Amino acid sequence: MASSREIEHTAAAWLARRDAGDCSERDRQQLDAWLDASVAHRVAFIRLDAAWRQSDRLKALGAGVPAGVVPARGSWTPSPFGNADEPADEPRHPHPTHTDADSPRRIPRQHREQRRSLLRHFAAAAALALVVSLALGWRHYAAVEQASYRTAIGDLQEVPLADGSTATLSSDSRILVTLSHGERHVDLQQGEAFFAVAKDPARPFVVSIGGRRVTAVGTRFSVRRDMADLRVVVTEGLVRLESDRLPNGLRQPTTLLPAGSVALASDAGVVVHSGSVQQAEEYLSWRSGFVSFHDTPLATAAAEFNRYNTRKIVIGDASVGAMRVGGNFRWSNTDAFVRLLAQGFPIKARQQGDSIVLTRR
Amino acid sequence: MDDSLNSWFAREILVHESALMRYLLRSWFRREEIHDLRQEIYVRVYEAAAKARPAMPKSFMFTTARHLMTDRLRRGRVVSIEAVGDIDALNVLIDEISPERRLGARQELKRLTDAFDRLPDRCREVVWLRRVEELSQKEVAARMGISEKTVEKQVAKGARLIAEYFHGGSHARRPAHGDAMDTAYENGHGQQQGD
Repeated sequence: MASSREIEHTAAAWLARRDAGDCSERDRQQLDAWLDASVAHRVAFIRLDAAWRQSDRLKALGAGVPAGVVPARGSWTPSPFGNADEPADEPRHPHPTHTDADSPRRIPRQHREQRRSLLRHFAAAAALALVVSLALGWRHYAAVEQASYRTAIGDLQEVPLADGSTATLSSDSRILVTLSHGERHVDLQQGEAFFAVAKDPARPFVVSIGGRRVTAVGTRFSVRRDMADLRVVVTEGLVRLESDRLPNGLRQPTTLLPAGSVALASDAGVVVHSGSVQQAEEYLSWRSGFVSFHDTPLATAAAEFNRYNTRKIVIGDASVGAMRVGGNFRWSNTDAFVRLLAQGFPIKARQQGDSIVLTRR
Repeated sequence: MDDSLNSWFAREILVHESALMRYLLRSWFRREEIHDLRQEIYVRVYEAAAKARPAMPKSFMFTTARHLMTDRLRRGRVVSIEAVGDIDALNVLIDEISPERRLGARQELKRLTDAFDRLPDRCREVVWLRRVEELSQKEVAARMGISEKTVEKQVAKGARLIAEYFHGGSHARRPAHGDAMDTAYENGHGQQQGD
């Protein structure tokens, strides 16, 4: 049986065929036959058809735009970053702090509200907005854009970057993004982030972590920092990991990491584990709120939980830390994890101030 | 096709895709299965509605989603005690007259514009010429100096991505595994899917 994605692609191909206008009677019959063959086909087609009909409303944007001109992205509001950066319906979205010079500042709240009220006069303002954003867009191209983002413990944030890429910040993480004409640069200052990189061969996407750099052109990968150590997980495409000379003068070789790789880099060297993409994905289940363990020492599992929670799990004795655990857990639910430990292992959990201490029972 | 059923489905079910996706993303651990889950939910709802339209479509859809996930868990495809707990809680506020359905024309246009702006360059240009300037696919091909076949492919892609971004709303933004983010289709992932 075709997968849901294959069905969606076939439905899209049919919709486009029909949209071509020179659809023959035979095409039409084949489409009907395809739609009748399975309800899955039908719902996929209805869904795309509804969206395609909706897109007819884009005509409202065409007013005042000369024929043959496709307006630039984000030219609908006078925002230098375009709409995609700041959806009005997501209040928990991180506010980027843009830096003009060295002094970081927040986007003035007033500015945002102003933009919202401008939206109300959408149609009327469209023509004017186009001019404004073209002017802003020009300045914006020549300049270097810089923005920093951070998350608190227990927070995940997804950040659309101005180049079309997306960064997903894990708990307690911080990045500084610098977009210039020749390079897209992210400084991972703390924690972990997953990147879905928009393809742009002319502008490599580089994540730097201390003296190491991870470079990609259109791919998906995550980078995590633990003090001086680094972990890179690649789920699509190819990335390059390179390191500066170590304090002892040695240089670690540059490593190419294909999809499915999990690389651990420390001062002792770089270890690459090459497995399936699915295995690599498990390292990234934090994005959907889970952590997963396979025969993992409890000390490591506890440290993983602690990344996401202010209430920490403390390993009371070494024998407890060496026990092996497995399974998928919600990282926000430390209590459930501890409860399961106490049920399944000879472990006693005790509250002590703001932490949970695990000792042998 | 039963047109009244199809338009009912678009009007009463598809409008809640954004809420459904939020629920699935929160409840289901394996992101790569969410696309498939969504399809199965839609199939079940559509089949049921063909016999009798549910009185409360949104609740019906969420209940269907919950049953489906519980079934899959029972079949042992995922071992996660926590996930089961979460599904049972069905932590979604289901009000039948939800804001999604009452999106004003302005917000709808905003959402559509956002979806449009997230299309890859060439696709975006094709959609603009076809939908706003109302050129035929043939004329679009001539204008852009590309083949008609390419235009047709871009229309297919445009419909698919707009559906993802528009129905999915802000949640299509999340980098669900291999999901319909613009980058996913641009960086070669789409090729595996026969783009």
